[in-house]
Amino acid sequence: MAETDSFLHLARPLGQVAVGAAPSTAPLNVVIQPQALFSILDHSLRRNADQERVIGTLLGTRSEDGTEVEIRSTFAVGHTETTDQVEVDMEYQKQMLALHLKANPKEVLVGWYATSSELNTFSALIQNFYSGQGDGTWPHPAVHLTVSTDAGKDIETRAYISAPVGVTAERAADSAAFIPVPHEVRYGEAEKSGLEAIANAKEVENRSTTIFTDIEALERAIEEVIGMIDRVSRYVESVIDEEAPASTAMGQFLLNTLALAPKVEPADIERDFNNHIQDVLVVSYLANTIRTQMELSTRLATAQLTLGGGEVAVEVSNAPRSVLLLKKPVLRQRGKQSTKK
Amino acid sequence: MAENQVPLTAVKVEALVVMKIIKHCTQTFPTTATGSIVGMDVDGTLEITNSFPFPVVEMPADSHFDGAAPNPAAAAPRAKANVAYQAEMVRMLREVNVDANNVGWYTSANMGSFVNMNVIENQFFYQKEMNEQTVALVHDVSRSAQGSLSLRAFRLSPKFMAAFRENKFTTEELQKSNLKYQDIFVELPVEIHNSHLITNFIHQLQTPTQSAPTDLPSSLAALEAGSLAKSTVLSPNFDNLTLSIDPFLEKNCDLLLDSIETHQTETNNFQYYQRSLAREQGKITAWQTKRKAENASRAALKQPLLPEDEWQRLFKLPQEPSRLESMLNSRQVEQYAHQVDSFVSSTTGKMFAVKGNLLPGETAK
Repeated sequence: MAETDSFLHLARPLGQVAVGAAPSTAPLNVVIQPQALFSILDHSLRRNADQERVIGTLLGTRSEDGTEVEIRSTFAVGHTETTDQVEVDMEYQKQMLALHLKANPKEVLVGWYATSSELNTFSALIQNFYSGQGDGTWPHPAVHLTVSTDAGKDIETRAYISAPVGVTAERAADSAAFIPVPHEVRYGEAEKSGLEAIANAKEVENRSTTIFTDIEALERAIEEVIGMIDRVSRYVESVIDEEAPASTAMGQFLLNTLALAPKVEPADIERDFNNHIQDVLVVSYLANTIRTQMELSTRLATAQLTLGGGEVAVEVSNAPRSVLLLKKPVLRQRGKQSTKK
Repeated sequence: MAENQVPLTAVKVEALVVMKIIKHCTQTFPTTATGSIVGMDVDGTLEITNSFPFPVVEMPADSHFDGAAPNPAAAAPRAKANVAYQAEMVRMLREVNVDANNVGWYTSANMGSFVNMNVIENQFFYQKEMNEQTVALVHDVSRSAQGSLSLRAFRLSPKFMAAFRENKFTTEELQKSNLKYQDIFVELPVEIHNSHLITNFIHQLQTPTQSAPTDLPSSLAALEAGSLAKSTVLSPNFDNLTLSIDPFLEKNCDLLLDSIETHQTETNNFQYYQRSLAREQGKITAWQTKRKAENASRAALKQPLLPEDEWQRLFKLPQEPSRLESMLNSRQVEQYAHQVDSFVSSTTGKMFAVKGNLLPGETAK
């Protein structure tokens, strides 16, 4: 994986200096959001049978000083490649970009992706298009992301920026020096639950899964914690039995973790526990009472009644509040009983 | 539209769509986010393979009403400009081999508060104008933040569709059609489906390539800084284990109270209607008896009789208020109550577990 690679930042040589904003040589970090990666993988699956690789546009945000690029979304762009020429549907790319920007005004064009690790002349050509002035990312460098999607191998992602090379203007158009830049896949807090659900399908034959209910998710989390505790206690036991090498650092770490257990008086716990559980149960009970009252009210409002139908409905609908007040003390006792068991 | 359609029974969502929806909804949270979903209908299972957000017209800063602000995003799916946008996008997606059939839309919700007129109208629009086989995916941002993903698929029931089309929400009509608030939505089971490449990718994430398995750390600092101490992305979300559901319960109670308030207003409206109806009817009967008495005296005097059905012109009966709003409200309350139930069930379990741990022997009695 790329995280284990190390990078040396080289100031890339710049091309001819134009008037106005000068391109920067500042170091660049690329952050990829998982959904962007997912859509690249999805696109790769949907390529035509005779296509080696597919390309698309990367969109995202750039930090103010231009040193961090966050790739947020992507869209596919059709292209055809033969041995001696490449054709990219520029019209499509432009239209799609305009459509995308309408819905995500904060995102800008940051570069392009290809679904093979190979860099060739065509890559340079496309790269020069994306980093060019006008429609491209100039004065910022265009990011080129390669995601290898070979069957049976790990998925490898690499990010590059480019510098112009070539002796003459014609040669410079189809050549570029690709400079690898560090990149990472970053997950937000919100995506965690989504990824967890997705990951759940990974061992299943038909690659699909259902969404958990709260209780199921809790069960899984608890099982996982128990598994972790088991693993640690096995390790500790084997250290005590002198089967595994001991490590002071590890011992310290475990001790620190154990010290996190709170020291509270049993009476305090008992009291807090009872208070809290009663509150929780009251809320639950009230919620259900309200639901029942609502149901009753709608039932009565639409039931086949004689002339007085409307009045009955009105009376009932006024009832919930008073009923709620009545029920409260009763519930308190109920909560206590259940905690004493 | 195909003629012999199998009714939809399940929804299969690609991992990509799940991620895209999560991204879009969290980005715009707490405002509602809406977007379109595309895919294919395969023998009653709706396969959702891609999605894209709807453009939102940014509201000018000065038109900032709190709370009741007309939310442009909530109404976006049925806005005219977006229909065009959607058609265009679908055409573009088709060019790159995406199964681009419009199969519905998605929206974000906050604590299950998605049962409102906007959602109903959007879904009605989709099921009527676009295609019968469309669903609304609801992603609950605040519930997902709590640990487990909440993504649900809904459709309007045929019964409700029929009633909504003709706007039949008077008491009489509801009695006839026997439509209840439980029948508004049909929920479809949601399944998440991964492509092979994504399965591959996830396996790779799970087990970072480690050549040297057991390299004992040299110091505590090294251990804490090392990659092993960081939680892996795909381990179950331990947010589930947190005991503080109070904020969630509190929010839920607030929402419930709001619903009760709405209910109160609705019933007051109805009460008002009942009263004015009674008043009008009283007036009519008074008028009728008066007219009858007059006619009797005219008959005695052998004068031509006055018509007795003139009251229909003279008096206007008040319009019965629509029952729709209170129906939706009831459905919403049901939703909240279920939510509270599920929160409470998991928390009580957790709390007893904690108590058992901190006071060993107490619970074993």
